Amino acid sequence: MKYMLMIYDNPDSRELFQSPEGKELMEQVDAMMAQLTASGELVGGEALADPSNTRTVRVHEGAPVVTDGPLAEAKEHFGGYLIVECETIDRAVEIAAAWPSARLAPMEVRPIMDPAGMEM
Amino acid sequence: MSATAVEPLLRDLAPRVLGVLVRRHAAGFDLCEDAVQEALLAAARQWPSEGVPVHPQAWLVTVASRRLVDDVRSEHARHRREEVAGAVALGDERAQPVAGERTREHDDTLTLLLLCCHPALSPASQIALTLRAVGGLTTAQIASAFLVPEATMAQRISRAKATIRADGTAFRPPPSEELPERMAVVLHVLYLIFNEGYTASSGADLQRTELADEAIRLTRLLHRLLPGDDEVAGLLALMLLTDARRAARTDPGGELVPLAEQDRSAWDAAAIAEGVDLVSAALRSGPLGPYQLQAAIAAVHAEAPSAEETDWREILALYGLLERIAPSPTVALNRAVAVGMAQGPRAGLEALSAVTGLDEHHRLEAVRAHLLEMAGEMEEARAAYRLAARRTTSLPERRYLEGRAGRLRGSN
Repeated sequence: MKYMLMIYDNPDSRELFQSPEGKELMEQVDAMMAQLTASGELVGGEALADPSNTRTVRVHEGAPVVTDGPLAEAKEHFGGYLIVECETIDRAVEIAAAWPSARLAPMEVRPIMDPAGMEM
Repeated sequence: MSATAVEPLLRDLAPRVLGVLVRRHAAGFDLCEDAVQEALLAAARQWPSEGVPVHPQAWLVTVASRRLVDDVRSEHARHRREEVAGAVALGDERAQPVAGERTREHDDTLTLLLLCCHPALSPASQIALTLRAVGGLTTAQIASAFLVPEATMAQRISRAKATIRADGTAFRPPPSEELPERMAVVLHVLYLIFNEGYTASSGADLQRTELADEAIRLTRLLHRLLPGDDEVAGLLALMLLTDARRAARTDPGGELVPLAEQDRSAWDAAAIAEGVDLVSAALRSGPLGPYQLQAAIAAVHAEAPSAEETDWREILALYGLLERIAPSPTVALNRAVAVGMAQGPRAGLEALSAVTGLDEHHRLEAVRAHLLEMAGEMEEARAAYRLAARRTTSLPERRYLEGRAGRLRGSN
């Protein structure tokens, strides 16, 4: 089963990773990426630009209305994700709990829909 | 010979070549497996244009052996493991089929299957390794079938081989007292491969659906090796009887069609006949097993001329047997369906309330929804369909369940 581990962040939390005390956090990120690659659990992942770069698109009476910035203001925004494939959601939760940014902002673990299915 | 004609030959030869290599060289299963994979890739490149060699198996053994010697030499340079290189360099580089070797090939293929389904490996690793080492599929093909990047699949395979190496397992059959347990794992892995392919069959996932064919091919091979094993026969029958419905299980739009609404004229009659023969013979001959019983249930469905004419009492009796010899929450759930069909929805709902161990499972809620709909409780049925739709992590199942809920909207 594939899971998306949704990472939330903000400018402060990202800055922390680049500060002297963040060096250890970055090393932990590298170590976890190496571990998930070696175990064959890592399927993919990307980081997103800061939410200030977002365009929010609505269609009003057939015409698109585009505004700068994210849908909702919040303290933390969806900042990137990992996709892992593991046997159980418990293992995916364990990975999220060990991911360094989980100490700074919550992470969400959500199953990815399977394109296969059984007739009922 | 075209590339498409070469591939089945290579897939057929893959486990035999690997068996020969592992026997001849002391390099270990993991290095031999890499060497065979490279020989297969070389053959897939050369044979379509240059023609198939007179002794294709010997060609593959020779190319794989050379590759193995090269690999071990570079490994040797890295690790200074002289004893390994010494042992491998003794291998015969101009391999011809040797008398007596063919008789051993059968045992080798079985030993290979048992090794790939080593209990120290996770199911995902067992599946990947079986498809590569016994099925002769490339890492790229396996990765594409499982919808993961090739690098991810390559990592899983090399990790699986490292686990086997670390375990110190030699290339020989497990002790006879372990054999039943180890065979059960092999059958389960083949069943999982089949299910991956079968449940994906909706046209868009062609590479995944080939997994069902591959599982049937490997189970057929195992049945040839062990014709007296009734559970192997039962598993092959179950796969054939299930796969016979493949063309009818989705509509042209790829949406799931429930068993009761499938166009039975689209079922594969030849596969059904073969499956029925296999399971009938297995049931007559020896002790009952879970795969035989599941195949027997599939056979009752397959032989019913219409959904209405299904012999649900027979199915209920078979589930009763299955629950006795291999109880599980899923069996109890399926039995509740049979109770509902044989004795009416109220009895089915009552049986369902006794099912434990599936509390958060969408399938429990889906069965409840169907039974409630049969009982005429449309509002409750709709709520149950919606709950099941929220719980499932399968896209086609969610669309199906949402569709059933939608049909009941406003019907109360």
